[in-house]
Amino acid sequence: MKRIKVWLVVFGLLVIVGCAPQTKYYWGGYDNKLYHHYKNPADYEKLVENLAELINQAEKVDKVPPGLYAEYGFALYEKGDLEESQIYFKKEHDKWPESQALMTKMISNAQRQSNKSAQLKDTSNEKPLALVKEVTQ
Amino acid sequence: MRTLIIISILSLLVGCVATNKDYTKFNNAKPSSILIVPAVNRSVEVTAPDYYLSTISIPLAEQGYYVFPVNMVKRLLEDDGLSDADLVHNSPSEKLASLFGADAVLYVVINRWDAQYLLFSTTVTVEIAYTIKSKSGETLWEHLQKMVYTPQNNSSGNPLADLIVMAVSAAATKAAPNYVPLAHQANNATFRYPGPGIPPGPYGKLRISQQNNSTISE
Repeated sequence: MKRIKVWLVVFGLLVIVGCAPQTKYYWGGYDNKLYHHYKNPADYEKLVENLAELINQAEKVDKVPPGLYAEYGFALYEKGDLEESQIYFKKEHDKWPESQALMTKMISNAQRQSNKSAQLKDTSNEKPLALVKEVTQ
Repeated sequence: MRTLIIISILSLLVGCVATNKDYTKFNNAKPSSILIVPAVNRSVEVTAPDYYLSTISIPLAEQGYYVFPVNMVKRLLEDDGLSDADLVHNSPSEKLASLFGADAVLYVVINRWDAQYLLFSTTVTVEIAYTIKSKSGETLWEHLQKMVYTPQNNSSGNPLADLIVMAVSAAATKAAPNYVPLAHQANNATFRYPGPGIPPGPYGKLRISQQNNSTISE
C-alpha cells in the first residue's frame, strides 16, 4: 500500500514535469490581459499599463516573447504616444528579424503621424495607417 | 503494483502520442513567422472571436515561431476596413503574408462555442478549425479540434485529462460558462507535437542568448 502511494506521487510528479514544461518566454498572463481588454475595451489605459508591466518583468529574466514589444508599441501608438511607440517598434525590429518589414512600416507611420501632429496639433480624424487596403482588391 | 506501473506508463504514452499528419508541404515551406488573423465566428456567441484571439499566441510562440502581435494585427486590419473576419479569410494569403512580411498565415474558424443546459449538468462545447497557409497560398497544415466539457464525466481513465477537466470545471459554471479554458485546452491539444500539431519552428530548439539578441544553437 505504501509503495503504491509512493509510486502515485512519483507518477504524479512525472506527469507534471513531463506535461507542464517551463515556457520558453515570460508571458505573465498576456492571454488574460488581452482577454480582459476585449472584455473591457473602454479601459485602454489598463491595457497599456498591463503590457508595460509585462515587458518590465519579461526583460528582467530576458525572456521577452515575440510580438510583445510591438504589441506595446502599438498600444502607445493608438494612445497617441508616437515618440514612445517608435522605441518599442525599434526594439521588436532589432530582436526579431521576422518583424522587420512590418516594424519598418510602423516606425515610418509613427514618424509621419508625429510630424503631422507637430504641424496640425490635431490628428483625431487621421486614419492610423493605410497598410492593408490593397488586400481585398 | 506492477499493473499500476504498466497502467501509468501506458497512460503517459497515450497522453503524448497521436495520429501523424503529412508534414511534407510544411517542412518544405519551413515557415519562421506566422500571422494570426482574427477568427471567423460560426457560433452564436459574438464575443467568441475576440476572446479566442487572446488564447492563440502563446502555444504558437512556444512552439518556436515568430508570432505577429495579434491585437496589433487585428487593429491594423480594422483600421483599413477589414474588421469583418470573413473578408480577411477570403482574401489571398499571399497578399496578407506579403503585407505583414509573414511566412505563413493561420486561419481559425470557430465552429462551436456554446453551452447546452440540461437538467443536471451543462455541456460546454468548443470546436475550432485551424488552417495554416504559406505565403505562396498553399495549405500547409490543418486540424479540427473539438473540446467538450460535461461535469458528469467523472473520469476518462487518463489522469492528465482528468486534471485538466477539473481545472476547466472550475471555470465552466452554469451561471456564465467561460469558454476560454476550453479554448486553451483545444489549442494545447492541437499544437502538441508529436501529435496533430506543427513541428517546432526556428526558435523551437534554440535559446535566445542573454546579451546580443542573436540566437545560438543548443
